[in-house]
Amino acid sequence: MSGRYTPPDESTLGGLVRPAGARSSTRRGTPTSTHASALGSGFLGLGVAIIAALQAMLGIALFLLRLDAYPSVIPVVAAWLLLMVTFLGLTITISASGERLPDWLYAVFLAALAAVVWLDFVAIAPLGDIGRHATASVSVGFVLLVIVTLRSRWEVLLATAALGIAFVVAILMSTPLTPVTIPMQVVIVALAVGPGITGVLLVSGFERMLKRELDRVLVQSTVAAPRLAVGMLASEELARLDLDAEELLDAVANGEAPLPLPALYSSRASTLATELRLHLIEGRRETWLFHAISESEHLGRRVTVSDPATLAGLLDDVQRDSLLAALWLLAADPAGASSTRVVTTALGPLDPNRASTGGRLVIPVRLEVTGMKRNRVDPGVWEALDRVGRYSDSTASGTVVIDLDCAVDNPVDAARPQ
Amino acid sequence: MPRPGRPCVTGFGARAAYEDVTQTGDRLSGMELIEKERRRLLQSAARTFGLSGVVLAAFCLALPGVVDPDLLPSVLIVLAGQAGALVMVGRSSHIGWVALTIVLGCGALALAQLPWAQSSSLALSASLAPLGAAGVGAVGMVLSEGTGRWLLWAVGTLTSSLLVATAGPTSGLFSTPAIATLAGWVMTLIIGLWVTVGVQRAVLRIENIGRAHHLERQASETEAQRRQGARLLHDTVLATLTLLAHSGVGVSAEALRQQAGEDARLLRQLRLGSTPMPQFSGVYSLEPVAETPLGTTLESVKQRFLRMGLSVRWHGSGQVLLPSDVLDAFLLALAECLENVRRHAGVDEADVTITQGDDTLRAVVTDAGVGFDPADVAAERLGFTESVVARLHDVGGNARVFSTPGAGTTVILEVPR
Repeated sequence: MSGRYTPPDESTLGGLVRPAGARSSTRRGTPTSTHASALGSGFLGLGVAIIAALQAMLGIALFLLRLDAYPSVIPVVAAWLLLMVTFLGLTITISASGERLPDWLYAVFLAALAAVVWLDFVAIAPLGDIGRHATASVSVGFVLLVIVTLRSRWEVLLATAALGIAFVVAILMSTPLTPVTIPMQVVIVALAVGPGITGVLLVSGFERMLKRELDRVLVQSTVAAPRLAVGMLASEELARLDLDAEELLDAVANGEAPLPLPALYSSRASTLATELRLHLIEGRRETWLFHAISESEHLGRRVTVSDPATLAGLLDDVQRDSLLAALWLLAADPAGASSTRVVTTALGPLDPNRASTGGRLVIPVRLEVTGMKRNRVDPGVWEALDRVGRYSDSTASGTVVIDLDCAVDNPVDAARPQ
Repeated sequence: MPRPGRPCVTGFGARAAYEDVTQTGDRLSGMELIEKERRRLLQSAARTFGLSGVVLAAFCLALPGVVDPDLLPSVLIVLAGQAGALVMVGRSSHIGWVALTIVLGCGALALAQLPWAQSSSLALSASLAPLGAAGVGAVGMVLSEGTGRWLLWAVGTLTSSLLVATAGPTSGLFSTPAIATLAGWVMTLIIGLWVTVGVQRAVLRIENIGRAHHLERQASETEAQRRQGARLLHDTVLATLTLLAHSGVGVSAEALRQQAGEDARLLRQLRLGSTPMPQFSGVYSLEPVAETPLGTTLESVKQRFLRMGLSVRWHGSGQVLLPSDVLDAFLLALAECLENVRRHAGVDEADVTITQGDDTLRAVVTDAGVGFDPADVAAERLGFTESVVARLHDVGGNARVFSTPGAGTTVILEVPR
């Protein structure tokens, strides 16, 4: 430890530390945020490149068919050559540099594409029908697809919009609009902007889906936790506190901090002691279900759990897995569903007079889903709940209420030798 | 934030348990879930893509002179029906809606050209292209799996391309709109295939991440246990931190420095993953030892308080063997009592008497300090109840406090042997 010890600026009681006893499930960190693009949208980019190549070949064929019609072939040939060089160069650069497109290269790429469009328009403007004769400039829209997985959405949409505007301007300047020519112009503009928009929508949907799947898989690992467990962040938090304490004590030991301690240090010591005590005494009071919900971006947004007696810890692996799957499906919303949906999960209290056969405990679980109609519940939910326990459901004013009876091994019996 | 000293310790047993879980319940339902999501994504993409094609085609066909004015309403009605079918394609994975889309789309393609072979207007074939390529071709996205769906794709492609071609050639012998329609179908199929394969590949990768995450969670659990288990160490660290929180007033600077250095060293060892062993005479054994001799450990407590200016007179038995958790609780309670004497009693010496019964070990801590009225210190001594009484109860022991203002304090700690 070199250099003068200075207490960290942030309050150690702020942010990540949950006050002891608070049992609401708040989101703590987003484990999926780091893996977003590393999940195979690069592979998607390859498919997009194939589509772009296919379209370009058609475009070239079309151009060759109409070779005689052009007053001057040179600009179109130049446009096509430039487009092919850009496309190949881009594809090679991307695969060589590990799916990354730096800003300057993106600028060069856009400039080249703009040149392609300009050359093509220059060649076909005298013909007076952009819609019918545009070839290389249409392919530009498809080549733009290649960057969908590499640049942010709005950048791609901006480039696509610019292409669309270029088409509209060129059409207005050179093509007489009659009912006969209009369809072709409309179609060609749609063809130019369609790929960009479709690509952005599809890729963002794909990424959202995989991010959610990653979230689900990460949360799945809570299922195998012991009855009461520390969350992923708890040990990190404890390690951090230990480290902070170590640094402070070190500073005192080697005289960096004068004795008697100035107020800044002593308040730091008192905060550290309080937090450390909290962490050591509190320890493990939460169940896997609490951790699953608080660690998941997807569940944390919609699901709350109330389990004062930590009964969720008694569920076996299959029950936990299925309960998690059911909650997952209940929290999922197909696009456009109401954003007010909330899933409330309550476990317990245990009824001492009830015990199912074989002395097993029966844990009452109640799921309340507001903002959802009974018939919109995914059938997979009922299938999953079947594996958790016996259930019955009812609907009242837009709220689906599911009551579950989960039979679990009595922990008292489990400790007893058979 | 770096994670200091987290050892990657995981048992094979735990890993096997995890794989059990994944292979029975999770793997199956997990794959089902993501497959469902993928279908939903492709369905809604097909719906959006198809609807824009239909809207485009309807706009073009509605222009004057493109379609026979008498037929226009029927064409538009069929297109509306097709749009409805596309909306259902977006909602349900039933193949019937796909088939209906294709039938209605091809119907609209044929109807718009009536009467047959009369008009070969350039505008007509250009208007039909978006309907063939996007309006109908969009369903190619949901036709990428299963032989039946492939067959439907082939039928749809051929029919719609031919129907667009009959609207008339546009350049030479070729019908550009027909080629565009064909290309549209091929591209949507590629999209469907690519997304399907992409999801499968990503799921494999996600599973690996999940496995790593699972191991990390176990390591985190182990690490938290290790740190929480290092109770004695944290006891002395907390005691020192509490001293520092009061600016170290009342303790000689030299002693405090030495104590702080010692504690920092222990924490460093804990961070580096080893078992901290204090240098001075006592034994802070952080290893879970079944039984630990009490005498030598008491000595370390005594040393600690001596350094802080409280001299403790020890009476009674020397060697007692205690289970480690009982010893931990006992020592914590004892240290906490002495700390209270040091801070509140206003004297610099205390007496500790240790006696052994048949099944209990008893420590009596007495001081001749200012004392207090146990009735009105509930709030102030909350820390005492939390840390001392609760912990003694945990191991089956208890604590009692006797005190009167001006007459000193006596605390009796009992733990089972």
